[in-house]
Amino acid sequence: MNKSSSGPIRTAILVVLGLIWLAPVYLLIVNASKSIDGYDAKTVWKPAGFSLFTNFGDAWSKASLGDTLVATTLYSVVAPVLAVLIGAAAGYAIVVLKLRRGFLWFVFIFGGTIFPLQMVLMPLFSGYANSGLYDTRVGMIIVYTAISVPFSAFVMRNFFTGIARSVFEAAIVDGGGLFRIFRSIYLPMAGSALAAIFILQATFVWNDLLLGLTLSQSESVRPIMPALTGLQSTYGGAALPTVLAGGLLVSLPTVILFLAAQRFFSRGLALGQF
Amino acid sequence: MERPTATRKAGAKQSARTGARAAPLFGLPAAAVVALLLYLPFLWTTYVSFTDYNGLASPVWSGLTNYKAMFSDPDLVGALTNTLLWVVGLVTLPVVLGLLVAVLTYGHKWGTWLRLPFLLPYAISGVAVGVIWGFVLQPDGALGQVLGFLGLPGAHTGWLQAGPGNTLMMIVAVTWQAAGVNALLFVVGLQSIPAEPLEAARLDGAEGFKLFLHQLWPQLRPITTVVIGLSIVGSLKTFDVVWVMTQGGPGTSSETLALSMYKETFVLNDYGQGAAIALFLSLVTFAASILYLRYQLSDGDAR
Repeated sequence: MNKSSSGPIRTAILVVLGLIWLAPVYLLIVNASKSIDGYDAKTVWKPAGFSLFTNFGDAWSKASLGDTLVATTLYSVVAPVLAVLIGAAAGYAIVVLKLRRGFLWFVFIFGGTIFPLQMVLMPLFSGYANSGLYDTRVGMIIVYTAISVPFSAFVMRNFFTGIARSVFEAAIVDGGGLFRIFRSIYLPMAGSALAAIFILQATFVWNDLLLGLTLSQSESVRPIMPALTGLQSTYGGAALPTVLAGGLLVSLPTVILFLAAQRFFSRGLALGQF
Repeated sequence: MERPTATRKAGAKQSARTGARAAPLFGLPAAAVVALLLYLPFLWTTYVSFTDYNGLASPVWSGLTNYKAMFSDPDLVGALTNTLLWVVGLVTLPVVLGLLVAVLTYGHKWGTWLRLPFLLPYAISGVAVGVIWGFVLQPDGALGQVLGFLGLPGAHTGWLQAGPGNTLMMIVAVTWQAAGVNALLFVVGLQSIPAEPLEAARLDGAEGFKLFLHQLWPQLRPITTVVIGLSIVGSLKTFDVVWVMTQGGPGTSSETLALSMYKETFVLNDYGQGAAIALFLSLVTFAASILYLRYQLSDGDAR
């Protein structure tokens, strides 16, 4: 904007604040890299040795993060994909097919995100226990999909609103069925919006604690965040580097995804998702 | 040459009608999933909140008993107070810091890079934030050692061992996570401000803080509303960080309502009480959501 706005005082404040902000990350990496015997609570600021991968291995086996990682990856991929498709179909129905009372449908679907998770936890727990979905991977996928649908429908409705009506009319005249038009014209056009929704929802699923804590218990079903809290409470005192390595390990995928797709995140933010 | 166009138009009209007829089929999956997994549970929780229910026997109507307990049971009043602390803490600290970072980095040569340290924690889950800060705040841990090194008091404080100090320190932890997001939102807000009035203000001699106060702040109003709305909603849901760092303890000294809801329901089997807390949280969240949803939805229509 203005050249004088990059003044030294301004830069200095930002650098100092930035360093303070990075300090916990530094502590995490340095101490997750120490061997369990080499860790001393009195010298947490000093680097000592490099056993990061041994610690990763320990976290992996001790908290069964391996099993959990497979399950969580499954949830973070399948549920957002389903939600994106279901949401896109709803957007297509409301905007392109001019669903009667479309706005009411939209408000109904989007309204699903307004209340906090606490409001649905107990009935989901009871319902899952009664229907045999409790502690199953299918059950977890269903609940993560449902949570992600409203936001997906919201974004897709907005996206399809921006597409000219003539696209649909031309497709109809060319003799395409409604499903085919959806699949081979509208979905491919929405690539960037679909990717944005997918990335945001995959991050949400990956980082979820509450639903995993409530609806699962076994190591092969339980998502990664509840598993990490288990590692923390079991090994918290004795093997801190292992716990920290676990914390670092589960953070890597979302941090990498975030750095690679920052603009999607800022768009999602503006939509008020997180 | 008239005829084909006419047929074309008639065809399009015809198709629009078939479209409208088939439309519910495309909208149904979304509506069904939301109805079954979100609205139905919502209604059941609402009903249960007015009953005495342990999850096994049938719910017994108890009127407002559960709601009265929220304002008389000392543990729940404590959780209510802590939640209030969280709301106040998170609409001030991360918002002010986010605004500061946004204003300082906006238009700065290396703005994007200088903003990165603040954004990094946002990509980390609440659980991992809890793990990291639990470590930093250990008695005589990383923070204590810094204070000791600088000769400041408090080096031996047990940061998480008594209320309300433990809640305050956890607010600091979440501030660390959330400030960058707010900064990003404020930057989006700043970008929408036309550059001319700013330049004019500079020529008039308005500098620094004055410039900010008279030129930027009024135009940042809409985005500030969104940031504050989101902060309130987020603070009401506070669960992950507390669950990892203190589990609400020692005792119930750092419990939030979101945590009490979980404990009442799944630890104490008092489903009715848990449901009442959930409904209370929902109502407050809903009120706060209206703040920014109005803006958000009208924004969506404009596009």
